[in-house]
Amino acid sequence: MMPGRIGNLPLAAENPLGLSWHDSAWIPLLSPSNIMDYFSERSNPFFDRTCNNEIVKMQRLSMDQLQNMTGLEYILLHVQDPILYVIRKQHRHSPTQATPLADYYIIAGIVYQAPDLASVLNSRLLSAVHHLQCSFEETMSYSRYHPSKGYWWDFKATKPGLSPYSIGQSSTKDASSTPKEEPSTLFQRQRVDMLLAELVRQFPLPITQTTNQSNGVTVKSENSTDKNAEKTESNVNNITIKQEPVDPPVSDMTNGGLQGHAEIKTEIKQENMKPPPEKKPRL
Amino acid sequence: MEEPILRYEKIDFLGEGQFATVYKARDVKTDKIVAVKKIKIGSRLEAQDGINRTALREIKLLQELQHINLIGLLDVFGQKSNVSLVFDFMDTDLEIIVKDNSIVLTPANVKAYMIMTLRGLEYLHQNWILHRDLKPNNLLINREGILKIGDFGLAKAFGSPTRINTHQVVTRWYRSPELLFGARQYGTGVDMWAIGCILAELLLRVPFLPGESDLDQLSRIFQVFGTPSEETWPGMKGLTDYVQFKQFPPQQLRHIFSAAGDDLIQLMESLLALYPPNRCDCTQALQMTYFSNKPAPSVGSKLPMPSSICKVETEKPSLKRKLLENIDGGSLAKRLQF
Repeated sequence: MMPGRIGNLPLAAENPLGLSWHDSAWIPLLSPSNIMDYFSERSNPFFDRTCNNEIVKMQRLSMDQLQNMTGLEYILLHVQDPILYVIRKQHRHSPTQATPLADYYIIAGIVYQAPDLASVLNSRLLSAVHHLQCSFEETMSYSRYHPSKGYWWDFKATKPGLSPYSIGQSSTKDASSTPKEEPSTLFQRQRVDMLLAELVRQFPLPITQTTNQSNGVTVKSENSTDKNAEKTESNVNNITIKQEPVDPPVSDMTNGGLQGHAEIKTEIKQENMKPPPEKKPRL
Repeated sequence: MEEPILRYEKIDFLGEGQFATVYKARDVKTDKIVAVKKIKIGSRLEAQDGINRTALREIKLLQELQHINLIGLLDVFGQKSNVSLVFDFMDTDLEIIVKDNSIVLTPANVKAYMIMTLRGLEYLHQNWILHRDLKPNNLLINREGILKIGDFGLAKAFGSPTRINTHQVVTRWYRSPELLFGARQYGTGVDMWAIGCILAELLLRVPFLPGESDLDQLSRIFQVFGTPSEETWPGMKGLTDYVQFKQFPPQQLRHIFSAAGDDLIQLMESLLALYPPNRCDCTQALQMTYFSNKPAPSVGSKLPMPSSICKVETEKPSLKRKLLENIDGGSLAKRLQF
C-alpha cells in the first residue's frame, strides 16, 4: 500500500510495512526448498538474525531441533509455487504451541511484511482524511468575501498570486501531467466522442442543482484563510464583480461546489502519483 | 590415621591420560562420589626426578585455591610409590556437550558457560596463576550444571618480570598468536584468547581455528582477523619465532557468527584481539554488556546434559515408578504421584 522503498534499510526501524526487499541474484532460483535461505539473507531487513533458525544453522544442527526450542523462529507457512510464499515469524513456547508474530509474503521474489488490520485501517483512514483535507484546502482557495456582498465562489481568478495553495498545485500539476500526455489515436478520439455523445443523450445536463449544505459550513469555519482572501480582494474585486451573477449567494455556492468537486477528483489522481506534498511550509 | 586406600572405593574406570589414570570412586567417609587421579610412575628415568611435574603443579596450586568454578582438590594420598589425587567428581565436560548434536546450545546456555568460566579464571588470575591449557575438554560440568575449570597440569604463577616461560603451552587450536610467535613473556592474554576460541566453538559447534600445524594455526588466525602489521602489533617482529605472513584482510565476525548479537560480537572481538595488551581481562569481560543484557544465563538445572547421562537419569524414576505400581496396584494414589 505504501510505495516500496527498496534498499532503504534505515526505515525498517520506523515502519517495516513501508519496506520491501529482494535480491535479484536469487529471484530466478527460488523454490520451496531454498526460500527460507533466501529469507535469511543477511541484508533482509525482515529477518532477525538472533532467531532460533539462525542459531541452529550456525551450530550446524538439524532444523528439526527448532521444534524443541523456545523463542523466536520463522516457518514456511504457505507455498503457491512458483510465485507466492508466505513465511511466518512466531514465538515458540513448546513443541506444540507457538504464537504468531508477523507474516511475510514473497511475491515474485520480493519480500513484504503483511500488514496487520490496524495498520491497514490507519493507513486507509489517513489517506482518506488527507485527500479530504486537500479538497477542502483547494475549495478554500476559491472562496471570496466582501463585506458588502458576503461570500462567493470565484473560479476564474486562477491568476498567479491569488492563492498560494493553487499556485503550488497548478505548478506541480503542470510538471507532472504534461510530460505524460500522449497523442491519442484516431480510433480513441472517435470512440470517446461517440461515448460522450451517447452519455449526453442519455443524461441531459441538469439546469439547477439541489443545495449541499456541508460545503458552505466548512467554508465558513475556515476563517483563518479569509484574511488572506480579504487582502487579495482589493486587487481582484474589480474583475470579479462583473462576473458575479445576480443569483443569490447560496446557488452560487452550489455551482461552485460542483466545479470544485471535479477539481478535487483530479487532485486525488495527482496525489496518487506523488508522495503527500509538503503543503504546510508553503502556506 | 586411617588407611587412605580403604577410604575410596573404586566404582568405575573413567579415562586415561598421558600421565594418569582416572577412576570414579566413592568416599566411604563422606559417602560422596569423587574422581581419583592416579599418577603414573612412568619410566625409571622420569621416576629419578621424583614425582611427576604436572601432578606436583596440580597439588601445589590447587591446595591453595578454593572457588566454585575451579575443580576442588579434596585429598592427596600416596600408596607405595604411587601418588593419587582426589577431585570433585564431574559428570561431563564441555567438549562432550559441544560434540553432542542432539543438544542445542541456546544463547542463554552459552552465556551461563561463559560466566562460570570467566569467574573461575578471574579468581585464578587474581591469584597470579595462568591456567595455560584452557580448552572445552578441561571445562568440567557436573549434574547440577556447575562448570569447573580442571586440569592444572600446565598452570603456573605469572607476573615475575624476569621469569622466562615456555611457549609450548596450550593445545594448538586455542593457542594465542603471541605464543605461536614464540613469546616467552606473556600474561593473562593467553588464557583470554583460549576463552575466545571456546566461546566461538560454543557458537559454531566445531573448533573455530583447527590449525594442522603451528604455522597453519597462525595462518588461520590471520585469515579471520587480518594479518597484523607493526602498527597494529608493535614489537611483533621482535618475537623469537616471528615469520612474515601473507597479507589477509580482516573478516567481519558477525558474518561468521551469524546468529550472535552485537554485544556477543563485542565480547568476542575483545577476547580475540591480536595484540595481547588489547585483549580484555576476565574482570573487564564480565563487565561487558553481553553479560547484563538479555537473555539471562540459564540456571544450572536448565543446562543441557549429554544424552548418555540423561538416559541414566530417566531410568531411575521409571524404576521407582515400577516399584510403586507393584505396591499400590495402580490405585488413584499412584496417579497423584506424577
